Amino acid sequence: MIEQRELPEIFESFSDARKQGFMAMKNLKEQGKGVVGTFCTYVPVELFLAVGLVPVGLCSTSDETIGEAEKVLPRNLCPLIKASYGFAAADKCPYMYFSDLVVGETTCDGKTKMYELLGKIKDVHVMDLPHNQDRPASRAIWMEEIKRLKNRVEEKFGVTITVEKLHQAIRERNRERALLKKVYELSVMSPAPLSGLQQLQILFGAQFKFDHEKKVQELEETISRITEEYQNGRHPIPAAAKRIIVTGCPIGGVTEKFTRVIEESGAVVVAYENCTGAKQFDRQIDESADPYDALCDYYLNIGCSVMSPNPNRLELLGRLCDQFKADGVLEMVLQSCHTYAIESYTIGEFLKTRSIPFMSLETDYSSGDTEQLKTRISAFIEML
Amino acid sequence: MDGEAEYVIGIDCGSTLCKGVLLNRHGVAAFSLQPTGWNLQESAARVLANLRGNAADIAPNTADNDMVGNMPIIATGYGRDMATEKTKAVTEISAHARGAEYLMPGVRTVIDIGGQDCKVIAVENGRVLSFQMNDKCAAGTGRFVQMVLERFNADINLMDTLLAAEKIIQLNSTCAVFAESEIIGLLAKGYSREEIVGGVALSMAVKISSLSARVGLRPPVVLTGGLAESSGIRKALSQVLKVEVQFLPQGIYAGAIGAACIGGF
Ligand code: SF4
Ligand code: SF4
Repeated sequence: MIEQRELPEIFESFSDARKQGFMAMKNLKEQGKGVVGTFCTYVPVELFLAVGLVPVGLCSTSDETIGEAEKVLPRNLCPLIKASYGFAAADKCPYMYFSDLVVGETTCDGKTKMYELLGKIKDVHVMDLPHNQDRPASRAIWMEEIKRLKNRVEEKFGVTITVEKLHQAIRERNRERALLKKVYELSVMSPAPLSGLQQLQILFGAQFKFDHEKKVQELEETISRITEEYQNGRHPIPAAAKRIIVTGCPIGGVTEKFTRVIEESGAVVVAYENCTGAKQFDRQIDESADPYDALCDYYLNIGCSVMSPNPNRLELLGRLCDQFKADGVLEMVLQSCHTYAIESYTIGEFLKTRSIPFMSLETDYSSGDTEQLKTRISAFIEML
Repeated sequence: MDGEAEYVIGIDCGSTLCKGVLLNRHGVAAFSLQPTGWNLQESAARVLANLRGNAADIAPNTADNDMVGNMPIIATGYGRDMATEKTKAVTEISAHARGAEYLMPGVRTVIDIGGQDCKVIAVENGRVLSFQMNDKCAAGTGRFVQMVLERFNADINLMDTLLAAEKIIQLNSTCAVFAESEIIGLLAKGYSREEIVGGVALSMAVKISSLSARVGLRPPVVLTGGLAESSGIRKALSQVLKVEVQFLPQGIYAGAIGAACIGGF
């Protein structure tokens, strides 16, 4: 069992960020700042940052409002979609509440149709995401959608997004991405200097810190403190712990249970390929190109299972397996998520060619299946 | 394990039965079996007390209090964490794989039908290669079979006689709860209990074949768990899976034996 031992104090500020962020956001609103809520990694948040708007992830990673959502949505739907809608319908998420505009995207069918209903409650703008990355027509559509979002933002908030400001926003975000990548790359070291749960809490929590300069500073401090303590001989993770990479649907909030179970079984999560991890921070946006071209290429190439084909996920996962010397890969698929569930086979076959053990597990936002996850995950770790 | 222990205890705390073995270098020295009842901890403790008593009897020379008191205890099964006295806990998946290898060296596939789940495990040299498990619904579990037998006032020993029937019927329900009402309907239509029990065994085999499709079945295939003794179930499985499911003597203790092996031998 990996003990979740204390990290430097500064870490607390991340594990608690989502809650603390409520107050910070309230203050921002009172200062007259506009807020844009998003659900997905494909949304080019630089467009908001460029004009001082505050983007926030409406991650909805709790089962609190699923009951509310099921009054309208079908039961056998991905819990992420139900929770996202439920938080708006029940008016329970302060971030949703504070969002002046919600930007959705046609990633999967469930979300696409949910946004229609969400549009009755909030001001929703939906981006039409193509599901292919190499046809010129797909790129053209995405470029048009980015421009359409720009116009919508300018109109809604009465601002002008200049190329100069956009460049600036890209640089800022790149810096943040690079730092978050540095955070997870700490676990390239063996034994890992922090548990996967702690890593997740930093990566997940960072999105709820809205002051760029302060966030950058805190991240730098966190990295240097962890490194320093590690060099001073503080090795909280046993060297024998098997090194696991987690892939699949977005993870965080209630689905932290997935990581908890892995680490309670004695292994350590060294990297997340998911949206909360490498999928979001691995690459940089080209700072030398025209900002719209740069945004278009960067975002369209995210390796999510909604893309067909989806070679970029395999490329990233393979690279992470080498870089982190993974002993095994575990995939978390949310119930009723067809794209990830189907792609699971491809992932398994891909990892077979590299002789890396793989298992995919389905879960939802309840805690009822913890024991079932535990038996499977422990057995997986025992077989490594 | 330090390799010095003379005896190792493996204990498999299942949902219906708690099984334990006392293992030493030469083989299994004692078995113990207790119904789980509602108190898992207690039945585990009873099995443990039995085996300790056996150890003291069998090896009077070495069986000083120290040895008996310090035997490593490896727990497995769904109640493994509830067994208070244990050196280590392992999942039933690893345990069944290892135990089956001990009982039949060279085994490649283990089908374990437990009280509340069933699994198909691909094994090589006693190690798990991959596995599939159903624990989300009762159909395909020992509990389902037990429920049907209870309805007919038959016990497990009678099952093979019931399963000898030539004519069996197909159950349509894939869920144990619906299957029960379907069975009542079939009885009302005048079907015999032999035909119906046969149908239950068949539907269970179909459930298991859908699990095994993802693991791949490589012979030799054995059946472990509470129904390991039943030739009727094995026959139904062999028919549906189109591969001979072999009899594994002491297969009901495979989990406990595997746990003990993982602990020391
Ligand atoms: S997994 Fe795909 S759809 Fe979900 S947030 Fe990430 S990129 Fe968007
Ligand atoms: S997890 Fe899957 S089903 Fe749920 S929103 Fe993401 S892509 Fe859609």
